[in-house]
Parts: sequence; structure tokens; C-alpha cells
Amino acid sequence: MKVCIDENLCQGHARCVFFAPDVFEIDDEGYANVREGMENVPADQQDNVRKAAANCPERTIIISE
Amino acid sequence: MTSAKEKDVKDVAANFDFHGEALDTIFDTYATLRSKCPVGRSEKYGGFWFITKSDDIFAAEQDPETWSVRPSMMFPPVTDAELPPIDSDQPEHTDYRRILLPLFTPKELKKLEEPIRETARAQAAEFLAKGSGADASYGYARPVPTIIFSNLAGYPEEDWPKFDQWVDDIIYERVERPEVMRAAEKAVYDYFDNLLDNWKDDPESSTLIDYLCRAKINDKPLTRDELLRYCYLLFLAGLDTTAWAIRAGIWHLAHNPEDQQKLRDDSSLIPMACEEFLRCLSPVQAMARTCLKDTVVRGQEIKAGDRVVLAFGSGNRDEEIFPNPDKVDILRQENRHLGFGGGIHRCLGSNLGRRELVVGIEEFLKVVPPFTPADPDQKWHGVGPLNIKF
Repeated sequence: MKVCIDENLCQGHARCVFFAPDVFEIDDEGYANVREGMENVPADQQDNVRKAAANCPERTIIISE
Repeated sequence: MTSAKEKDVKDVAANFDFHGEALDTIFDTYATLRSKCPVGRSEKYGGFWFITKSDDIFAAEQDPETWSVRPSMMFPPVTDAELPPIDSDQPEHTDYRRILLPLFTPKELKKLEEPIRETARAQAAEFLAKGSGADASYGYARPVPTIIFSNLAGYPEEDWPKFDQWVDDIIYERVERPEVMRAAEKAVYDYFDNLLDNWKDDPESSTLIDYLCRAKINDKPLTRDELLRYCYLLFLAGLDTTAWAIRAGIWHLAHNPEDQQKLRDDSSLIPMACEEFLRCLSPVQAMARTCLKDTVVRGQEIKAGDRVVLAFGSGNRDEEIFPNPDKVDILRQENRHLGFGGGIHRCLGSNLGRRELVVGIEEFLKVVPPFTPADPDQKWHGVGPLNIKF
């Protein structure tokens, strides 16, 4: 599973870091990024990433499997 | 021939309102409109279009070039002036919003975690001491955000007792008694004018007011008029909405003892439960836009200049997005609600509001024993009394 964030769409709701804090982080301006090295999502984080995507109000988390 | 049912739907649409008593039955109204008239026209408040489906609301939120927030996102307006940043279009919107954005990131809010918890705990203890039957709205849901937000914003403690009445008069009286709103509006502007007159740049202090006073846009500080309008917005946004959300959470738990027990048994469920309160019982049921260019939404033509209301509260119960949408399901896993809006105007304080709600419910349940409604007729909405027995 690969994950990325469409940075133009993120508005900083920070729901992704609630569901998958090991995969996503929020920068000093309040916008989300995928943590370095987490673009290829480890097996034990995949459920969390799916939940993050399903709860992102801006639909900005893109998952490819 | 028009059937009776079609006539009913026309009546429901023409009378659609999202303030006061209309909120008593608004979830039924939303369901009727979503299925029979998803985009329609109300004759209230001088006439406005409404959009009730989640996807249509989302699309409008993502398209600020068609949907302006000027002259007022709040509808009917809470003042004649445009309030930055919620009533500002780009590029001004970005400039205004950027001033406070870094203060509301999850990282910054970590610093407030303990003060929020201590405030909630102390208020819950004070509430408990009032005894069974006490009002959890004036005794808890309202003071918690007043204390937290006032400290963050830099409103002196001796002024706090005046705030509830001003909020009530501006937010809740504006429809029925506009003259009451006007008096409170003036009092709040005068209050901030005086606060700004006496503001001194203390490098040790970093309140929201400090940030606004120090801010520069294109190398120029904000004018007194801009500062006043920004302060007015923060005052309303920081106090009323969070109080409503905490009160609505307590209301639901009072009416649903099984849910209350689940959260008492496993407090890790509280953040998800709070998302469900925000989806189903949100303090912001709708916000307005102005159409900038002729457009069509779900087959309905809307003309440039028309006022349009995005009914978030309806989108949050859209059966095409949420299974069993009218059930408050505290275990709901997928909850892409629009309680804080979306797009560039997403609530600036959403991360703070969320923490206040979650910690507010956590501490209340820790301190107050199992409770039920003392007056089952008290409604889910607003910030009025909510008496509970325990």
C-alpha cells in the first residue's frame, strides 16, 4: 500500500494524525504530510491509514494498493 | 394537478429555517428536503436557496470562485461589517487567516492540554457541588470554553461574567429581537475598542489579541477597524459554538444512559463519540454563501448575486454518505462530517474546539456520577438550560 496527500486540498483538520499518528504529521503551519519513509505503508499501519482516508473531510488522502 | 404531498414539500421548502424553534424538528425537515427537494428556495429572511446534500455542499466548499462568503457567512448576519477571515474572499482571506493559523495547530494546542483539563476538572467539581438537578449548561458547558478561550485570547477575567449575555443577545436574539442584538453588538465593539486602546506590547505575552495587534499584512499593521472586526468574530466563534457542542454531548448522554455507560466503561471511545455529536448535533447547522456566477446545482439554476445556504446539518445526515444517518452511533468508524465546514474556510479553531469537547466530556464523566435529564423537554440545540439528575 502506498499513500500520499494532495497538499493543495489539505485544510488542516488533522483527522489523519488522530487515526494514524505514525504515518502522518502536521507541519508548523497546520497542514498534513506523510512522514518520511512512510509512503510505503507498513502492514501494521494499513488499517489506520484506511480509517484516516475515510475520515478526511477534504478527501485528500490518496491510497494505492 | 399538484398532489397534496408535493404541496407539503413546497411548504417545507418555503418555510425552511435553521434557527430557534425550527431546530426542534429540523432533522425531519432535512430528510424531507434531501429526498424531495435537495436544492430549493426558502422565503425566510428575504429569500435564499438551500443545498442539503453532502456532495453538493462539499463541492461548493471547494469552489470559492463561484461561492463567495461575502457579505456574511452567518445568516442572518450578526453585524453589518464583514468579519475577517470568515467573510473574506481570497486573497484577503489567506492574509487574515495566516495571522492566527500557526496558533491553532495540533502542536501548539498540546501546550493547552493541561490547562484545558484542569479547567474542565475544576468546573466539573464545582458543578457537582451544586447537586442533583443543576444546570449543566450554565454550570459547565458554558464556563469551560469561556475560561479556556478567554485566557488564550487575552480577555481579562473580570470581564467574563458579561460574555454569556452578549453571546445570547447576538446569536440567539438576532432573528426575533434584532434591537437586542444591535445593543449587544455595540457593547461588544465598544468593549474591544477599549481593550485595544489599552493594549501594550508585552514581549512576554502571546495572546490572540497580541498576535492580531503585532500582525502585518503587506508590511502594514491591521487598522483599528480590521482589528475590531477580527476581535468580534473571535469572540463569537470561540465561546458559543464550543459551549453548544459540550452541552449537546451531555444532552445526548443524559438521554441515552447506555451510551453514557459505554463511555464510562471505556473512556478511549470518547473522541469518536464526540465526532458523532459533532456530526449529528453540531452547533453550526448552516452557513451562507453568495453565488458569484450563474450556476446549476443538481438541476437547479442559481443566479449570480443569489444568497445560498449550505445546510451542513443536513449533509451530515445524508443517507448516501452515512449508513443509518439519523442514529447517533458513538462507535461510528467512518465519519467524514462537515461539522467544521471544509475547504479554505474550514473552522480555524476546529482543533481547539475538538479538544475542549473531548476533554470536557472526559472530565465531566469522571467527576459527575451517572445522570439523566431532569427536564426531558429541554431541547438538544442551543446553549440554554440543561438540568440533569444524578
